[in-house]
Amino acid sequence: MKIPVGIPVFVAAAGTDPKFAKMVSRWLVSAGVWLLLASAVGLLEAFRLVDPEILADHAFLTFGRLRPVHTMTMLFGWASMALVGLMFYVVAKSAWLPMNNPLTRLELISSNAALWLVNIGVGVGAIALCTGDLSGGGEYRRYPWYCMAPIFAAIGIVGVVFYRIIARRRVGAVYISCWFAMAATFWVAVVVFMGYQTFWKTGLAWVIVDGFYIHNAVGMWFTPLAVGLTYYALPKLLNKPIYSYALGVLGFFTHLVFYTVIGTHHYIHTPLPLALQTTAVIFSVAMIVPVWASTGNFLMTMKGERLAISHSYSLPFIFVGVLGYGFASLQGSFESLRSVQETLHFTHYTVGHAHFAMYVFVTFLIWGCMYGLVPRMTGREPPILLVTLHFWLALAGIAVYVVGLCIGGQVQGESWVAGEPFMESVRKTLPHMVWRSVGGALMLVSHVFFFLALWRMRPGAFTMAFTPAKGG
Amino acid sequence: MAFNIHTSHRLLFLIPAVSYLVLVAVCAVIPAMLEQQREAEVEAPFEDALLERGRRLYRDFNCVACHTQQIRGDEALASVIEGERLIPVLKADARFGREVASRREEYAHQQPPFMGTQRTGPDLSSVGRRLPEAQWHYWHLYTPQSVSPDSLMPPHRFLFTTTQPSDDVAADYEKVLNIEGLGLPGKELWATPDARALVEYLLSLNREFIEAEGLSR
Ligand code: HEC
Ligand code: HEM
Repeated sequence: MKIPVGIPVFVAAAGTDPKFAKMVSRWLVSAGVWLLLASAVGLLEAFRLVDPEILADHAFLTFGRLRPVHTMTMLFGWASMALVGLMFYVVAKSAWLPMNNPLTRLELISSNAALWLVNIGVGVGAIALCTGDLSGGGEYRRYPWYCMAPIFAAIGIVGVVFYRIIARRRVGAVYISCWFAMAATFWVAVVVFMGYQTFWKTGLAWVIVDGFYIHNAVGMWFTPLAVGLTYYALPKLLNKPIYSYALGVLGFFTHLVFYTVIGTHHYIHTPLPLALQTTAVIFSVAMIVPVWASTGNFLMTMKGERLAISHSYSLPFIFVGVLGYGFASLQGSFESLRSVQETLHFTHYTVGHAHFAMYVFVTFLIWGCMYGLVPRMTGREPPILLVTLHFWLALAGIAVYVVGLCIGGQVQGESWVAGEPFMESVRKTLPHMVWRSVGGALMLVSHVFFFLALWRMRPGAFTMAFTPAKGG
Repeated sequence: MAFNIHTSHRLLFLIPAVSYLVLVAVCAVIPAMLEQQREAEVEAPFEDALLERGRRLYRDFNCVACHTQQIRGDEALASVIEGERLIPVLKADARFGREVASRREEYAHQQPPFMGTQRTGPDLSSVGRRLPEAQWHYWHLYTPQSVSPDSLMPPHRFLFTTTQPSDDVAADYEKVLNIEGLGLPGKELWATPDARALVEYLLSLNREFIEAEGLSR
């Protein structure tokens, strides 16, 4: 299974079932298209937080409606589709399935169907939000139910396919990446169910479910998938074992217990039961354990590999992503403290944190895994120039974005605590809104380069020229 | 061998799945059920079609993206007055003209409650008391910057129609007065039923269930 670093990727990719490669690639390219679209919407929203008159005359393009188009498309169109697409490959590989025929016909067909279900859900969802059907209600679940239903069905399909692949693995132990893949698909099914059930849809009961949903969608779906991918990709790309398998297992179980119960930290200082609030704060701080179990594990694996990292075009993304995981989560633990919430809750700081986590952690890891793994499946490498431009523009853009908003949030919060007129806090943070737009523009440009690079890695005639070889 | 989690994918699926369900029950399902019972003790507000429509528009224009409806409280300073537990307002939230933090009754029967998570604009839980003039809200919705310079709130002009003074206008439209500042020379401005419903809803936001004495900071 091991492919020495020196072996060209087209040898690694030789014999990969082209139907499988195409299926995975469809997930990734769909994700890339959603990324471009949602970035453009995000940038428009960023501009409007500088000048609210931009495109203001149409109800279907109003700020309030496009904001969830941005978040929902990013979360379900971009991050989910990219993570799932990559996970198909990682699960099949770490189950040691023969890559010339990893999935059964039925599994291939249903995986392709799942892909279109998600695409339909996200596409119809964007239209529904623009035309003003926000009946989903809460943050990250604004889609009406008929958009979430196909996505829910797709999650079911993906979960079953992952499980079946793992069940017929050709190796005794189940690799830790598969733990995360299998668990996350089940967890997210529960999360989506909780988000769209109709038993608790009024009053504080709704708020409790809302806090649970917001945080578990992030923590029990994106995080375990991104971490799971890294447990496979990092050792593979460095051609060495992970530093400590036991740390990975510790991370898995503490993640499961701690992350589940911290949703209420979105509603501190509210009339929600104090016991829930306190539990949320305590375990938010305890999150340092699973986060640094994995972060430390990855960093120790990368120790002494400076040369390999600087000579690779995928490892720098993973390196940034791992640091992003560790530090965005530390920031989250800090933000959950009651005293900190007094100043920073409701401010732009939260948006800074959301992008720190979803971008520097999840998105950078996705990119690293794409650049690292897709060529091993399709035999096609991306042009180095594109990847380099992508890396530096994205990094510079998100740095400006996050630093700008975190400072801005602090300024805003301090203005509130000082009791200044509200508009004073709006005026004081205007420069930060401008910085966000500058950062966002750099990010959007980098996404165009990324998409071109991804397109160049798609399976083509080249992959198929290799006759299927035996074994994985 | 069968009980080795490393080699049994069944165990590896079941253990995280079942533990998750248990945790979800403890941290979300049971607390939600308890809250629902408490909610049942509060009388449901009487139904008003216009208000309900305004509320739905508030949801569908996603005003929650920028506005909260919650005044946070400082638990450490809570006190009990005549059997009611009252929590004074946090410093950062003191500007919104309320003396007691939001209480669970305020959200009873709201579907969904608009507590919000972001405050790009001010809290609106008591805006009906702070700004009781429908006309002000019309100007503000039409062009927020006309009454609040440098505001970042998007204009909602699509909730209005302009006409020539001679045109006929349906009876359920309301005329917007004093529109000199809105840049519509020689025209009349009318609030559509949607705008009227939305403003009706905003004016109804006057939530302070208890006028507590001696709690101001
Ligand atoms: C982009 C964020 C944004 C959105 C979306 C938004 N607002 Fe605002 N809103 C603001 C800001 C900033 C202010 C403060 C300046 C001002 O008065 O315009 C404000 C002020 C207000 C005020 C005056 C509150 C006060 O205490 O002075 C009301 C009422 C209001 N908004 C209602 C709404 C309604 C109704 C919607 C949905 C149709 C909405 N807003 C959508 C940002 C927003
Ligand atoms: C081109 C790059 C991007 C730009 C310009 C951008 C811009 C924005 C803007 C303007 C908002 C609304 C903030 C507000 O209302 O104050 C937002 C929110 C959000 N964005 Fe982005 N964004 C970008 C990329 C991403 C990516 C890649 C993701 C996830 C993978 C993402 C996830 C989110 C989330 C989760 C929120 C909600 C934050 C919260 O409620 O706290 N964004 N973004």
